[in-house]
Amino acid sequence: MNHKATYITGIFAILLCLAHACRKEGRSMYNPDAYTLQLPEGFPAPVYDFSRNPLTRQGVALGRFIFYDYRLSRDSTVSCGFCHQQFAAFGHFDHALSHGVGGQQGSRSVPVIFNMIWQKEFMWDGGVNNLEIQPLTPFTDHKEMGVDLKELMQKMQTDPRYRNMFREAFGSEEITSERLFKAITQFVGTMISGNSRYDSVMRKQGGAVFTAEEQAGYLLYQQKCAACHKEPLFTDLSYRSNGLPYLPSLNDVGRMKITGSTADYLKFKVPSLRNILRSSPYMHDGRFFDIYQVFDFYDHGTQRNDNIDPLVRDGIQLTAEQKRQLYVFLNTLTDYTLINNADLKEILIE
Amino acid sequence: MILRIFTIHTVCFLMICLLSCGLFSCSKSNSGGGNPPPAPVTYASLQLYVTHVMNDQPLQRNQEYTNPSGEKFTITRFRYYLSNFAFVDESGRIIKSAPSYFLLDDAIDSTRQLQLDSIPAGRYTAVRLLIGVDSARNNSGVQSGALAPEHGLFWTWNSGYIMAQLEGTAPVINSASHEFQFHVGGYKPPYSVLQPVTIPLPQPLTIAAGKLPQLHLQANAGKWFTPNTISFTKMAVIMAPGNDAMQLAANYQHMFTVKSIVNGQ
Repeated sequence: MNHKATYITGIFAILLCLAHACRKEGRSMYNPDAYTLQLPEGFPAPVYDFSRNPLTRQGVALGRFIFYDYRLSRDSTVSCGFCHQQFAAFGHFDHALSHGVGGQQGSRSVPVIFNMIWQKEFMWDGGVNNLEIQPLTPFTDHKEMGVDLKELMQKMQTDPRYRNMFREAFGSEEITSERLFKAITQFVGTMISGNSRYDSVMRKQGGAVFTAEEQAGYLLYQQKCAACHKEPLFTDLSYRSNGLPYLPSLNDVGRMKITGSTADYLKFKVPSLRNILRSSPYMHDGRFFDIYQVFDFYDHGTQRNDNIDPLVRDGIQLTAEQKRQLYVFLNTLTDYTLINNADLKEILIE
Repeated sequence: MILRIFTIHTVCFLMICLLSCGLFSCSKSNSGGGNPPPAPVTYASLQLYVTHVMNDQPLQRNQEYTNPSGEKFTITRFRYYLSNFAFVDESGRIIKSAPSYFLLDDAIDSTRQLQLDSIPAGRYTAVRLLIGVDSARNNSGVQSGALAPEHGLFWTWNSGYIMAQLEGTAPVINSASHEFQFHVGGYKPPYSVLQPVTIPLPQPLTIAAGKLPQLHLQANAGKWFTPNTISFTKMAVIMAPGNDAMQLAANYQHMFTVKSIVNGQ
């Protein structure tokens, strides 16, 4: 009788131990898969601090779903991906100015958003100081997605798919702005362009070499463009006035709006030339639809203002042949592994 | 005999089972703590109450007041951040408390009752704080809690917190709504509005373990309009860092006074 009781107690104790172990297992169920970013050879270290927001497969997947979810805009018409189209290198094809909910139009063109992890400031005027908080602007701007952030999160919280994806990415169903923005940042962080024909030539991959015309164009680029559109990002990320005539209808003062300094009047961030032939129209207000218009502008269209950059003060003269060579070179900057990347493709929601 | 041995074995097994369970739970609870800190510094808490006034009367939203420029106005919204609390001890040393950020809102009473934790125990003669959010938190990505962007106090187009916000109406303002909106922010030179505020205490404040002293502060919204004389005809909408915001910040940094101190028993 005595040892029967001992047996029962013993089994009970073992069960207790097992249950304890199981509970521990259950608690550590949240175990997202690490996601390793492939950084292009020769690129500098990213500016974005991933230690604050470690990339996971689930986090990137959630960010991608959010990025393409048009239901997140006020009238369920536009998503992030609506303006940032993959085939246009995440710019907006054929639209000079951005547009959003209710058919409203913004005052600048949609910037391309690849290689963002190498930027320390965002938007044409550098007004946004961290990649993580960049989504705040398009979500809340009444000319873009036009939502109230609190209402948006309440709406997302009612969707079982979102609850599930937030749990997978962050360990619980709770949707907070911090998680929302970090997930978007994770997805946008994976939009990397460093695998164009130009890159193959530079890395001598598979014996890739420029054609004679491409080579001539590359030399021209180095002489006339590279000071601002610096390799390997093809931008030095500085703010400059390139002599683009001021348009009274848009009254865009550029970076001066951010710094309050007249020294920044009409200055805008130097855009990357990567994927440039895929991401027309050009300039902060999208006034040029064809790259040859840009060549012509630098050749004879710049207008001097007090802040014009010394490098373009006298324009950049180009012959017809040079324009063609430059065009052929710029074509080598198109990165098909970006614009055809299946992992970045639009998700059709409902 | 066999049975007895078996029983002894079972008892041993049982003991091992229980012990190992116990050990596991012990190691679990210990893993975070480690050894007790060798230094004798103890930390304690403080309860902070903030009352809003308009000069010598309790602040009432939508009640008519007159500013030093003789302009009538009402207040509809009054919010600000408090952060970077520190305490000045009797030898003049500044002792920082654990980082904490609070958003105080005149419309939400609970936001004006704060608890500051992890303050090193001691006797203090002044409180230091920042009206606003330090520059580090302005540019290091998305924040949570009181600093979460959905509170509407993070500028979208020009990153940075609105440190303090005063809104209302004044008939003298020549616009359809007659609204004034003072959104004061800016963390970068030359337009930084961040300046630590030192509030001298009329009697020493004792922070000690096991006690919960209370510090009652008063924030006078009337101080926004002086000593830099603010006139709604010259300044009605401020929504960017700049000289106007700096002038207002220079005014409101004087808005706090001590109403009472209750040192815990």
